Amino acid sequence: MKPLTHRHRALMVVTGLSLAFTALACRLVDLQVFRHTELSREAAANREQIVHRPGRRGEIRDCNGNMLASSQSVRIVAADPTITTSNAAVIARQLAPWLKMDEASLAMRLTGTGKYVRLKLKVDEDTVAQIKALKIKGLVFEDQFLRTYPNGPLASHVIGFVDNDHKGVQGIEAGLDKYLSGVAGYEVIERDRKGREIRANRDEEIGPRDGLNVVLTVDQVIQHIAEVELEKAMAEFHPQAGVIIVSRPKTGEILAMSCRPTFDLNNPGAFPADARRNRCVSDVAEPGSTFKIVVCSGAMNDGLITLADRFDCERGAWSFAGRVLHDSHPYGVLSVEEILFHSSNIGAAKIGITKLGAARLYSYIRAYGFGHKTGIELPGEVSGIAHPLAKWNPLSISRIPMGHEIAATPIQMMMAMNAIANGGHLLKPTLIKSIVDENNIPVTKFQPQQVGQPITAQVCGLMATALRRVASPEGTAPKAAVKGYDVAGKTGTAEKIENGQYVKKYYSSFIGYLPAADPEISILVSLDNPVGGAYYGGSVAGPVFRGVAEKVTQYLSIPPQFPDVDEKKVAKL
Amino acid sequence: MRSNRKRESLRFGNVAKSLFTCLAIATVGVGYVWQKNQIYRTGDEIKKRETALSAAEKRNTMLAAQLAQLKSPVYLEMRCQQANLGLVAPKETQTIRLLEPGPEWDARFLPAVQPAAAQKNGKLVKPAMKVVSSK
Repeated sequence: MKPLTHRHRALMVVTGLSLAFTALACRLVDLQVFRHTELSREAAANREQIVHRPGRRGEIRDCNGNMLASSQSVRIVAADPTITTSNAAVIARQLAPWLKMDEASLAMRLTGTGKYVRLKLKVDEDTVAQIKALKIKGLVFEDQFLRTYPNGPLASHVIGFVDNDHKGVQGIEAGLDKYLSGVAGYEVIERDRKGREIRANRDEEIGPRDGLNVVLTVDQVIQHIAEVELEKAMAEFHPQAGVIIVSRPKTGEILAMSCRPTFDLNNPGAFPADARRNRCVSDVAEPGSTFKIVVCSGAMNDGLITLADRFDCERGAWSFAGRVLHDSHPYGVLSVEEILFHSSNIGAAKIGITKLGAARLYSYIRAYGFGHKTGIELPGEVSGIAHPLAKWNPLSISRIPMGHEIAATPIQMMMAMNAIANGGHLLKPTLIKSIVDENNIPVTKFQPQQVGQPITAQVCGLMATALRRVASPEGTAPKAAVKGYDVAGKTGTAEKIENGQYVKKYYSSFIGYLPAADPEISILVSLDNPVGGAYYGGSVAGPVFRGVAEKVTQYLSIPPQFPDVDEKKVAKL
Repeated sequence: MRSNRKRESLRFGNVAKSLFTCLAIATVGVGYVWQKNQIYRTGDEIKKRETALSAAEKRNTMLAAQLAQLKSPVYLEMRCQQANLGLVAPKETQTIRLLEPGPEWDARFLPAVQPAAAQKNGKLVKPAMKVVSSK
């Protein structure tokens, strides 16, 4: 065999190297060109991570900027059992006091084959800092938002609450969820071997946008006054339920809205659904005598009666359409003014039957907003019941003027009385003052919204004259009188209906405003089935009205009309 | 063949050019690495500040909630009772309002027609405020 020459050997090496490099080049082309998309995606998946950043839910504040609801950053403490299993008992002993958990159950959670186990939710930042200081390997801390309500049960039915996904469930939380909800952002990040983010390699970054803050018309001090007075009434009269609404008659702003039974916003699940219902907007009841303001003002507005016109009240019993109508006291002939402040059922029925008539009465019922929703920004509002004229029976015209055969929500009654207080303007009730961004710059401002004008300002003046006497010693609610102030209002005592029958249970209410000549506030008090003897609106709801009014006038610095001070002394100062 | 090669002496210019080129390449390389390092360091600094800012914001929200709780009427009333201070809000009729000098003050306490003595050069003169001592 002929030995290989130097040239041949060189050729073989070159050929071998060429083949090797060609193979390598082919492999590179395959990896870098043909499989580029697939492999680059795989590489990115190994390296990159998409981190979602939830937007913080906006705050709910009272009209003075006091916080009523906010979202706090808390942490979820989790663990990687593949790391913690070997040392579970020791870690559990260290963690148990901080997480306020049983050591044995914690050790059980820390042991396993999975890569992730949640140990505790809603852990505050200070506790997390203490746990981090222990330098335990295998623990993970995740961000979470917790909705907190610093005032607990205060204004619970107005504010409402959120579910586990931070979605509004009730109250303003649900009604204004689209404004309050933040918009989540995300970041595409890379982590190093120790799991820390390599900030310089952050690929995409869309920051989260916090939700807007809602400023309510509710004043937390007035709300507290209402809550305290309602609680006192609940303790004294033991009703099934109770409601207080405080509003500004000139603007329709709700300053306080309190319901009993109530619940703690920080733990709504611990209370029955019945306690969470906002009775001001979702419960209807026959209003009783407070409804007489509709028939009397309507008849006066049509020029059919004056305050001085007189009606025979039949000594307390009057038969109409085969049924006897009763008054609480046997009255003789009364003027319209007296019918109002004595609250004569027969007098009101006679105004409806002989003067106003069914068609005009129905048109005033609708004009005052009964039978349709007020449009308040709370979910779950109902329209009440105002039967159309075609469904009225022969008795209806005698029953409706005294607030039977019709059902209204407390907020509807409040707004009807506000229309009389403010010169005849039926306003949409509002709980929202403004919506502001994180820098307190208003995004939306809510203005008073008139939805109708059932009566003229002149008739309102006449009504105020009669309603002032309700809180006088001769009226049905002397206990509602507020020392130094000119109060106008109307009592209501309606029998409740159970299984289609009137029963000896009552719905006692008082709606009033003050100062009568230039109203600053109006207050509705209603108690469902007070127990213990007294049940008339004037004796049960009247004192509660006075309790609220005395404190609210003082808080709002509403000057008294009959000051009990020596003006000369003031002048001397 | 070897004899055909033309021996040339090393020229300073060529050496300088080569050195400069090498230096330039090295500078670019080192610069690139240094810059990359700076980018990562700055990234870390940004991350630290972002974390600190986020922690401060969280703390701020927590403190705001605590402040709201401390300012709540329920809490204040409870503290008032605990401290047995006996504080109650005065009733409106127990309040004496002092009006600031102005139209309301004038309407309430000044006579309807200004006396001639209060006129100076044909112009009305506002009465001087009385100083109230708080003895």
